Amino acid sequence: MPEPITLFTTIPGQAVPAAEVELFDPPMCCPTGLCGPALDQTLLDVSEMIMALQRENLRVARYQMTSHPNAFLSNVDVMKLVREKQMEALPITVVRGTVVKVGAYPSVAEIHTALNGTAS
Amino acid sequence: MTQFVFFSGKGGVGKTSMACTHAVRYADEGQRTLIVTTDPASNLADVFEQTIGHQVTPIAGVKNLWAMEIDPDTATQEYIDRALSPLRAAFPAQMVRVMEEQMSGPCTAEVAAFDRFTDFIVQDKTFPEFDLIIFDTAPTGHTIRLLELPAEWSQSIDAASAGSGQTCIGPAAAIQDAKHKYENALAALRNEALSIFIFVLHPEAIAIRETKRAIGELGKLGIYTHRLIVNSIIPASEKINPLFAARSEMQARYLEQIKAELPYPTQRMTLLSGEIQGAARLRQVGKIFFDGESAPVDSETRTGKTVSVMTSSIKEIRARIEPNGQRRTLFFAGKGGVGKTVASCLTAVWLAQQGHKTLLLTTDPAAHLGDVLGQPVGDAPAPITGLQNLWAVKIDPKAAAETYKARILNDARQRGRPESAIKVIEEELDSPCTEEMAAFDQFIDYASQADWEAVVFDTAPTGHTMRLLELPMDWSQQIDVKVFASVEGNAADDVAKQRFGQVIAMMRDPAQSTFAFVMYPESTPILEAWRAAQELATVGIYPGLVVANFVIPPVQVTPFAQARRNMQVKYLAEIRTRFNTPVLEIPLLPQEVKGLEMLAELGWLAYGDEVHQAEPV
Repeated sequence: MPEPITLFTTIPGQAVPAAEVELFDPPMCCPTGLCGPALDQTLLDVSEMIMALQRENLRVARYQMTSHPNAFLSNVDVMKLVREKQMEALPITVVRGTVVKVGAYPSVAEIHTALNGTAS
Repeated sequence: MTQFVFFSGKGGVGKTSMACTHAVRYADEGQRTLIVTTDPASNLADVFEQTIGHQVTPIAGVKNLWAMEIDPDTATQEYIDRALSPLRAAFPAQMVRVMEEQMSGPCTAEVAAFDRFTDFIVQDKTFPEFDLIIFDTAPTGHTIRLLELPAEWSQSIDAASAGSGQTCIGPAAAIQDAKHKYENALAALRNEALSIFIFVLHPEAIAIRETKRAIGELGKLGIYTHRLIVNSIIPASEKINPLFAARSEMQARYLEQIKAELPYPTQRMTLLSGEIQGAARLRQVGKIFFDGESAPVDSETRTGKTVSVMTSSIKEIRARIEPNGQRRTLFFAGKGGVGKTVASCLTAVWLAQQGHKTLLLTTDPAAHLGDVLGQPVGDAPAPITGLQNLWAVKIDPKAAAETYKARILNDARQRGRPESAIKVIEEELDSPCTEEMAAFDQFIDYASQADWEAVVFDTAPTGHTMRLLELPMDWSQQIDVKVFASVEGNAADDVAKQRFGQVIAMMRDPAQSTFAFVMYPESTPILEAWRAAQELATVGIYPGLVVANFVIPPVQVTPFAQARRNMQVKYLAEIRTRFNTPVLEIPLLPQEVKGLEMLAELGWLAYGDEVHQAEPV
């Protein structure tokens, strides 16, 4: 058996500051659904929402189980939801470390409300 | 430092034989040598007459020699296991299952096989025990794509980290940390002190063009070839045999062309009267190739027992070719270089002459449909000049990807998506998987078109073809487990799924579809086709016809030609025992097949009435 795959370990010295908005996506071939035979418009909306948030200088991160398992594993609340509700839990939206939406993607307004509510 | 030797060239040119001959020679000289094949339809085991498989295996009777066949399925499973092992404990079983299903898609297979391939090239602690690693690579088009991947992926990863942090590589989205590995692999390939590329080719027009193209493609990647082996040169003693004399003259012209247009160090290898199998035979071939010894006529073959060859009736064969009240779809499958293109062209020409509206198309990235037809074939179906009812088209993966991208971007624009969003989509579509996906999408398109009476596919070489054909099954499975963010996405996928379902049903129905396996009567092509047929059987598809190509006419004047004929007779009988289908024989011709006139003549010979069949070529 070959040695375990090293793809999931983080490169030392490349620690990224935690994002203000984190999206824990359901499993998809690719984040916009472009790999499938048809475009998923909701995922395109999400992609546009993220760009809008980035224009406000907010850091946004998206994670999938297969590509970013450590992001899931290191968030206790997210893992609790995943264990309880399994697939139904995804997508999960986390704003400044707090889960704000479960099972559906948020709107820009919802993100703003959450950001204002937790404004520091 | 371990050195690398890559054998490249069109399938069927003797790449594996030459790679094995080199491997045995170097091993005998005391170099610890590993020979690796990345061809999904490998025949390394056939040449060494022993089981090899997906691990480094010592070769019996040759000290210092080991071999390995990279099996894409095993590589994929290993890759998935390695990737998922840390997740099994943490995630609920249902989610692990979904991840596993997701990683079973076509992208992972490509990533995994490639990952395994680079493991050998990267100069680390992985294989310090070998002085030399020889790669018996996959046929040209596929090889190039494999070698192109490091460059594309490095770019893909760069683009991803600069842009949205997303790539369409799917399960390989996590390859960020593996980037250095791919860069190292490419650096090793570019280092002339470490890597040698040997192109094996026949002295034929198509082979010369393909070799030039392949060398050009490698040049674009900063890889420069070092050597050529021109194989299967007809011995001078055969000039008294009219069939071989004509072919020998043709070869002489092409040898001149090679000298002029491919100015690289070139070695020549003579056509042998018998096959190349087993260590002893490989050593003998080594003496012919490296030391210039003359090739003996294989005595065993010369005294080979006479087997009467039963021929299939034209009626039997035509029943598998002609439309039967509904559209007929024909797939010509088989190893590269066996004559798939010629078989599909002559069939399409004959069908068109019978008055059937026929579409001829290729899914082979290294297609030479236009060379055989004698007129260019583009990436949109166009009527063939000089023959009614015949249209032809080439599915070029790169062109298909452009069309596919344009369609998706246009759709997004029409829905009023802002340019910034379009740019993100565009970036995502610039990934190696898009080509595969787009070529498949076009394949499905043509496979579902109702306005043809006959559709003739000149398919890609075996392993690649199987993957392409299995994709519909993979996708329906994929769609079953895919989790959707919107109802609209779900509905669109249902439509796609239905479309795939129809194509699968069509491919399984012998009244509508015929899988014709093309091979020449020799051990390796028969075994490869046989394995491919077994693979197809697992998806409910069975061969309907075998085309035996390059058949030497029964009576030959020289011992050499008679030895080759006897060898073929043995294998023509084996074809009949292995495949329960009619067998269409196409004779070895004194010149290359080119142009509609010659194709029409061959079409008559193959499918015309019995009187025509009896006439000599």
